Amino acid sequence: MEIRSGDELTFRKVYSEVFPVVMRVAYHVTYNQDVAEDICQDAFIRFYDKDIVFPSMDDAKFWLIRVVKNLSINHIKRKMREAASLEKVMKGPQVNPFRDGASELILKESASAVRKAVSELPEIYKTVIVLREYAGLNYKEIAGVLKISESNVKVRVHRARKELEAKLNREEVNVP
Amino acid sequence: MCLDDQILSTYLDNELSEPWKSQVEEHLGNCPSCRTRFQNLIKISDAMQAAALTEEEIAPRQDRVLAMIEKNHLAKKDRKSFLRRTFKLTAPQLLGVAAAFVVVFVGSWAVFGNNGSINSPILLQDVNTTIDQSNIIQTRSSDNVTTAKSLESYSLDEILKNLDARGYDVDIRLKSIQPMSLDNIGTEVKVIARIKDKNIVITSDGFAKNADGTIVATGVKLDAQKRIVASDGTVIFPADVVIVEPTATAGAATATAGAVSAETTAQVAQAAGQAAEGEARTDVQTPAVN
Repeated sequence: MEIRSGDELTFRKVYSEVFPVVMRVAYHVTYNQDVAEDICQDAFIRFYDKDIVFPSMDDAKFWLIRVVKNLSINHIKRKMREAASLEKVMKGPQVNPFRDGASELILKESASAVRKAVSELPEIYKTVIVLREYAGLNYKEIAGVLKISESNVKVRVHRARKELEAKLNREEVNVP
Repeated sequence: MCLDDQILSTYLDNELSEPWKSQVEEHLGNCPSCRTRFQNLIKISDAMQAAALTEEEIAPRQDRVLAMIEKNHLAKKDRKSFLRRTFKLTAPQLLGVAAAFVVVFVGSWAVFGNNGSINSPILLQDVNTTIDQSNIIQTRSSDNVTTAKSLESYSLDEILKNLDARGYDVDIRLKSIQPMSLDNIGTEVKVIARIKDKNIVITSDGFAKNADGTIVATGVKLDAQKRIVASDGTVIFPADVVIVEPTATAGAATATAGAVSAETTAQVAQAAGQAAEGEARTDVQTPAVN
């Protein structure tokens, strides 16, 4: 189904379907809900005003994800330049390593540790793992959004997981 | 040989194709070490899912952003897009719109185009048939390209056809116009002089014409010394080549004139150029009565 982003009805349909996805992407790159909200708003306004015709809903979604990803990366780069501490963004307890048990409760308590670990990933690993885990894209789709090869996606996803594993294990070690 | 982590990661994402997928599954069934590493990967993935922004966290922001976009963009675009909107009309609607334009056009023509009275006869303005300096328009041939079309640029026949097509019953009567005849012209314009050996006549309205009636100079006149001079006083033909003919008519004069040699035309053209102050080409429009 062809998607015309400037058409109000179409816009509403895309919005309700894609907003949660791009909000997650923006949040898990910036780890600031207010910033993520602003970024999503910005992206959807661009989407509507540009009045682009997409061959399918997925193409519209990928366009929005790419814009949100870029705006989010820009934001964190700016934040880094301003030397703002990411610790301010992170809230809640930073203990209780999830590997003590697999129960949902413990996983939830460890959410902030995971968020912190993800936020500390190098950008090239962070974007692929966020698109994989939080936008639910497959390798081919990630490759399309980031304009890199699928095998590159495969390698980066794997390395992102290795880094996360190492960081979360370190957290575990650090807990007295 | 055990599986490396990248293969396990790819398998976890269901991105491994056959036959490797089956081989990995088989190996995981037999190798506790690989199974443990794979379970660690699953835990990382599960932990990430558990840390995901929840729908409860997203929903209020989704509503807020939509409300903002509705207020500032959706409504705004509707307002400003009226002129840019493409009108989609069905055939009967289109006919209706066309009919409305016709009504407006004909109505405005009836009110403004004909002094508000459609039934009054259309009077043609009196045409002054006298050919003199005042009603001769001198133009360059290139002027016609840019001149806007006025009523004068249509022939009476075209005007009648146009009015007929619009459903007007037009009654044409000629007033104050006498049929054109040589006699008529003859009474007004006379050949006042000839140029010796050159087949050129000078008429009373200030033209120098060659044998076929082509005007080769304008604004010329016969002065007291019987010389032909231009409007700025330049002597074009000295008195010794000018033969004054006060009685001949223009029609008779041009009719009796003989052929013009190429040499003569060139010379007169040069003279005309001087007379018209650099205008290489001079066309003369005379009022026509159809």
